[in-house]
Order: sequence, then C-alpha cells, then structure tokens
Amino acid sequence: MEQVVGLAPDPASAKAGQGLARAAKWSGTGATDRALWGLCQGSGKQPYQTAVELSGPAYKCSCPSRKIPCKHVLGLMLLWAQGEVAPGEEPDWAKSWLDQRAERAERPERKPGEVADPVAAQERAARRADRVSAGLAELAGWLDDQVRQGLGAFDQRAYGELNRLAARMVDAQAPGVAGALRRAAAAVGRGHDWPGELLEELSLIHLIVSAHARLADLPPSLADTVQTRIGWSIETARVLAEGEKVDDDWLMLGRVVEPDDRLTVRRVWLRGATTGRLGLILTFAAAGRPLDPLPARPGEYVPGALSFYPGALPMRALLTQTAPRLPAPRPAGLTVRQALASYVESLAADPWNERWPLVLRDVRPARHGDGWALVDDAGDGLELLPGWDAVKLLAVSAGDPITVAGEWSRAGLRPMTCWRDGRPVML
Amino acid sequence: MSGAMKGWDGLVSSALLGTDRRPPHFEELPDHIRQRLGDGGLLDAAALATVYKRAGRKPLRDLEPLPAAPGEDGPLPRPAAVRRLAAMLGGFQTSALGEWLRTADANGWGVPPEHLPALADYARHRAEYRPLVIAAAGRRARWLAEVNPEWRFLHAAVAESNDPELWTHGNTIQRRTWLHALRQQDPAAALEALTEVWPAESATTRADFLGLFADNLTLQDEGFLESALDDRSREVRRVAARLLARLPGAQYGVRMTERLHSHLTPTQGVLAVDLPRSLTKSMERDGLDSQNPDGIGKRAWWFHQIVATTPLDAMDLDWLSTPVEGCAPEVLQSAWTEAAIRENSAEWARALLRAEASTGSRSPAELLRLLPPEEWAAAVDVLRRTVDVAELVGGLPVPWPPQLGTMILDQLVKAGTNRAWARVASIAARAVPPEVLDHPITREATGEEDTWRRRLVETLTFRSEMYQELT
Repeated sequence: MEQVVGLAPDPASAKAGQGLARAAKWSGTGATDRALWGLCQGSGKQPYQTAVELSGPAYKCSCPSRKIPCKHVLGLMLLWAQGEVAPGEEPDWAKSWLDQRAERAERPERKPGEVADPVAAQERAARRADRVSAGLAELAGWLDDQVRQGLGAFDQRAYGELNRLAARMVDAQAPGVAGALRRAAAAVGRGHDWPGELLEELSLIHLIVSAHARLADLPPSLADTVQTRIGWSIETARVLAEGEKVDDDWLMLGRVVEPDDRLTVRRVWLRGATTGRLGLILTFAAAGRPLDPLPARPGEYVPGALSFYPGALPMRALLTQTAPRLPAPRPAGLTVRQALASYVESLAADPWNERWPLVLRDVRPARHGDGWALVDDAGDGLELLPGWDAVKLLAVSAGDPITVAGEWSRAGLRPMTCWRDGRPVML
Repeated sequence: MSGAMKGWDGLVSSALLGTDRRPPHFEELPDHIRQRLGDGGLLDAAALATVYKRAGRKPLRDLEPLPAAPGEDGPLPRPAAVRRLAAMLGGFQTSALGEWLRTADANGWGVPPEHLPALADYARHRAEYRPLVIAAAGRRARWLAEVNPEWRFLHAAVAESNDPELWTHGNTIQRRTWLHALRQQDPAAALEALTEVWPAESATTRADFLGLFADNLTLQDEGFLESALDDRSREVRRVAARLLARLPGAQYGVRMTERLHSHLTPTQGVLAVDLPRSLTKSMERDGLDSQNPDGIGKRAWWFHQIVATTPLDAMDLDWLSTPVEGCAPEVLQSAWTEAAIRENSAEWARALLRAEASTGSRSPAELLRLLPPEEWAAAVDVLRRTVDVAELVGGLPVPWPPQLGTMILDQLVKAGTNRAWARVASIAARAVPPEVLDHPITREATGEEDTWRRRLVETLTFRSEMYQELT
C-alpha cells in the first residue's frame, strides 16, 4: 500500500488516489499477470481508460492529467493492492497498448559498439559533419559582423535574432550551440550589466566555433569536449564499450532535478570513495513522466563502475552498479577557497564548464541580500542560487556548522545534500 | 560576477559601439591575457577575459552567519519511524500525525529537523497541531518563526521563557503566551501585569487576554472581573461574566442565587417557576442575553440563563425528578446541562444522563465527558439505546480509556458489514488507545465489500506499527 502511495508525484495525487481506491468508482476492472486495467467515470461522458503494466510499472490513462501516475492509476493500484481487482481477460484497448510495449521490449539489443549498418552510419556522420561545419561557418561570420557593427544597435531585435540563429543551429545539427545561443538571448536586457553578460556568452560561442575550425589540431580529449559542446551525442553502447572505466564505491553527493515544459533533466553527482573521481549521471524524461529510480539515496555508496564519456574534463558517465547500495560516512569537505579553486581547475580543462559539484565543510548559513549564503570558518562565503528555498537547510543547521554538497554554477550554489551529525539529509 | 577586471569594460563598450567605430584596446587587459591573445580580435580577447573572470571569482566576505539556536537536539527515533513521519507528511494516514508527534515527544525523541518546515506548514491552518509543532521545533522554533512570517505562531515557544521584555515589546502571540505561562505559575502576578496595561489595549486584545484567566481563577480576581462587567466592549463583558460564573464563592453567584430564588420555589413536591417579566439592568450587567434564540420564548430564555449561571450547590439533585410547574421541564434540564458543563460536575452529569434529561443545544457527549473516564464504557452502553453512538463517542477526548476502546471494537466485530457502523468505525480507528490496537478485529478476515472494516483494520495496524517504532 505504501509502495503504491510512494509512486504518487505529490501528496495531493496520493490523497486523490486513495479516494478512488473504492470498487464503486470503477467498472470493467481486471488483472492478468502482466497488467491491470479498469474504467473510471470522470467528469466527462466517456469513462477514463486506465491501465498499469506491472513489470515497469508503466501507466496509461486517458484522463487529461499531466501527472504521472495520475490519481486514476494510483486509485486502481490501491484497489488492486486491497485485493479488489479480479483476474480477467485483457480488453482490446488495454491489450493493444500492452502488446506494443512488449514488442518494443523484445527488440534485440545491440551489442556494445555494434552499429546496425556501418556504411550508412558513416555516411550519416559525414553528412552531419558537413552541415555542422557549414552552420558554424555562417555563425562565425554573423558574430564578426555583430561585433564590427556593435551590439548596441542590435538591442531591440537581439532576442529574435539570436533565437532565429538558434533554430538555424538546430537545423545544422549543432544543438549544443543552439542552446548556448538561447542562453545568450536570455541575457539581453536582463539586469543593468546585460551587455557584459551578452559579450561573455557570445565570446564563449565564438570560442566553440573557432575551436571547431581547428578540431584536427586539438588534443583528442579536447576535441571530444568541443564536439560534445556542439551537440554530438555519443551512443551509450560506445561509452559502455570504449569509455574509461573506474571502479569504486561511489558516494552519491546529491541530485538536481530541473523540470521544463518539454523535458525533465536530472543530474546525479557522484564521488569515488578511494579514487576521489567525480562523476555525473544525466537522466532525461519527457515532462510529467517519471525518471528512472535513483541508484542510491544521497549520502549512500553505490559500489560499481562508471564508464566516462570522452572529453578533456571527463564527468558525464554511465553507471554499472555491481553491489547493493551501502551507508556511507559523512564526506570530507573543502573550505570555500579550496572549493572555488577546484572549479578553476575544471575550467582550465574545459572553459565551457558551467556546473561543478562542491562539498563544503563546516559552513553556516548567512543572509546575503535577499537570499542566503554559506560561510566557512575562515569567513569566506558562497552565495546560494537566488530563489532557491533554503528553509530546509536552515532548519537542519539551526546556525550550527554543517557539511553541504551542492552544485556550483555562476549564479550560485544549489545545495543538494547536507550532513548533520553524520546523517545525510536530501535537500 | 563583478566586471571589475581591468580592461573588461573597454571590451564591452567596444562591442556595444562596434569595432568599426571604436577599435578595441587591449593594453588595459591583464598581462596573461595579452600574452595569450596574440593577434586575436575582440571576441578572442573577450573569451579569454571571460574565462579568467569566472576562474577569478572571489569568495564573499563580511557575511554574518546566523546565530546558532541555543540548546540541544533530542535523539532521533529509528529510521522506520522517521520514514513513517515522512509518509504522513506526504499524505498517507496524515490524521495520525498528531499522535506520532505526541508519542515521540513523550518518549523523548526529537523530530528530524528537515521535516520541521513541512510540519510548520501543516500546523499553519490547524491550531490544534501548533503546540505539538512548537514542542517538535524545540530550539529551532524562534529561528523558523523568523525565517518564514507564516510560521509566526512558533514564537509562542520562545515566549515561554520568563522574559518580561516579551510582555512589553513582543508581538501579540508572544505576549499572549507569556501571560498564559505567568498565569500558570503566579496567577496574582498575571492579574497585576494585565491590570497595568488594561486601559491601553484594544477591545479584542482585552477580551483575548482576559479569557486566559480561566486557568487558576481565585477570589483575588473577583474585583477586576467585576469592574470588567462595566467594560465598554460587549465581548469583554461577556468574557468577564463567563469567568465570574465559574468562580466559586463570588458575589456573582450570590446574585444569581437570589435571582433563582425569586423565580423558582420548591414546594410540596413541585418546582414552581415564575418566569421573569423583564430583564433588569443588573441582569444585563451580569451577562444575561436579552435576545432569545429560536425555539424558546423570551421569558423562558431569561430564566434558562439564570439557572445556567447559578452555582449548582444552590440547587438540589432531587429537582431532576421533581415535577415542574410554570415552564417546560426541558428549560430547566438544558440549563442544568449548561451549569454542569460550566462547573465540570460529574455528579450532575451522571444524574442528568441517568434521567435522560434534555441537553438543549448541547450534546449528551458533553455530559458524558464530565464523567470519570472509567465510567464511559458503561455509560455509552446504556445511552446507545437512545443516542447515536457516533455522536456520543465522537465528542470524547482521545485516546479513549481501554475499556471503552475494547467495548466499541467488540461491538464492531458483531456489526458485520452493516454500513450504519461506518462512522463509529472511523472514529474508533483514531481513538482507541495503544493498549487496544491489537484487538482481535485486526486478525479477522475482511471480505470484498467490508470497506469500513478494512479501513479500520488498516488504521489500527498503521498505528500499532507506529507505536512499536517509537518505543
């Protein structure tokens, strides 16, 4: 029962689900080994069709809710957990969905590194390289023009112009550059120092463009970094097969989830207990869809191997867990100065690096403008990300020094986990 | 984020105006950048400078960390107990939250501080949870109250310290708590403190603070309360009259007794009632309401109020079975119900229940709770023939005494799937005490249609596990 409630995206859904866990609310319910289904009368004429595939679990419901699982799914599962869903024959609407899923799952998995049609793949890659080169060349010219004519003149139409270019870069199959252009567009007119901010963003785009122009001369790892920034993705299978592998007990420093209109991104930061290596696991899901379960709770070890994506600053990795997660002691931390220095090292390897995990030792909360900062014993402070709700962190600290793991970016530190008396607390 | 690097502003203005009009000057840039720049242009210089700026970020200085909240934290209960707390805050069996907090506190367990914000949010609109959350917040109470204005009620925890500054300079919540605490420790000092500020306070505050005097009332308060009967605020007068009616030995009781005697005469086995003809100024001063509610005449209403506020020792339990002349016996019965509740009289409550007296606007449950808890089970067993069981037990404080819990659960076992028992079951699920949670009903099979029984068993099991985790 609690497991079902644990699937709820928020307390309101959990509550609504409990309200629907009554046989009287349902018709046409049934269950097989692989699934359960039922019809639930909503406000409309047609009852909602709700189905759950148990192995995932995966959910389907014809209701308009964007929450996954929705209250109907939760209600149906609770009903089932109460033993109130009898075995039955899958109705057509549920069966077709389940069969589709089964078919997808059965598709043979490729061996690591194996490409379906190597010749076609090579041709595709070559075509893409040409498109990227052409797109970036056009962008280089545009940047030079803007700087010669002056960004000031471009104030009014900057936003549209940059977004148009971003779309152009998507066409040119350089989505990473497109993202950077959209960030630049967002800087226009924001704050009194926006011309400086815009120049920063454009100059780093210029840096990618010029690095790409001499890709062949770059050290291979830096070339990989540039390719990644442009938006070449590397197949998971290749990373698992060829990526650098590091075995360790990986401490889960914390996670950051960024929901978006279209895509939810989750970053899980790890640090090796013996190697001290840092790792980043990126997970994506369509908006409103559940993300994969976390490999561990923050503050626990995941024993296993990380396969790193190539690059000058290998961070992003894939995890192959080899043993169950374990409790871990409070991690050693850095002073604010040391922490900033570690970020500088990362910039030296990858000047485009924007996020960096920090573990701060013995820091205390302090007010900083409208927001908050963390201050270490030496009196050095780091501001917290503006707008981040610090109340949980404050409650845990109560003004006492604590260890905090967070994600550092130019805007500030986004705390992920803090430790109090050796006990990790997810923030 | 500072643009403080030498030469940066020059790059920005060049970029703004355009290099055609304002060629960039790199002389001002730091040496490191100039050396690497070679024959690069503005964007190359800006890229180098940007990375240098980002790498050169300095820590913030001169920040004042928040002062540490003084005191110690209690030890935390087992992880399973903490997970259960988190589940309740997440919406599962949330109504057991108060019980969790009370039990944890009684067993000396602290609350994991990361859950305090959610608890404070929960208690924001649920006043009955506030004392529990204040106890749970412990040394963090003041702190949290200052972090989020919506949690100002947490200030009450701070005000329990005996700091007179809080009385003179605190906010309303702090002052109220301070006065309340002082009233418990030193009733006379609380009276003195209130007397001092009385003329300067608003009517709402006067009525509110005066209400706190219900605890530890003594004849020392009488003079002040008498003067409050002449207050310009109707609400203050009402509170003062209510308090005086609860003060044994006060002149107020003497006045009421006299009024009673002039309208009620027990003679020759009959209670002869002569309803008041008018409401005098002095009756009005003593808080008698002139406006009758629906269902009772004006004069009967005045009489009802006299009986309800007359000390019970001026009356006789035998009157309960004495015939009445001059008004409906229900007027007297409901007035005695009021008086019994006001004086917490188990004796009168027992007699009124036994006589199946009319309780007027009150519920028989309110009389029931005046009885000693060990009598509840037997009383409910008798009363349930005439009064709805759910109404009776729903008004009792929780947890119930074990006998009552066992009796109700025994009844529910017999009830089968009868839906009429659903409400009693849902009350009992929350109210039976920890000793009874292992009742045989939790081990009986429940069928498909036994919704209320399944819910009952689920809640009893949930609570039983909760108690085990918190021991």
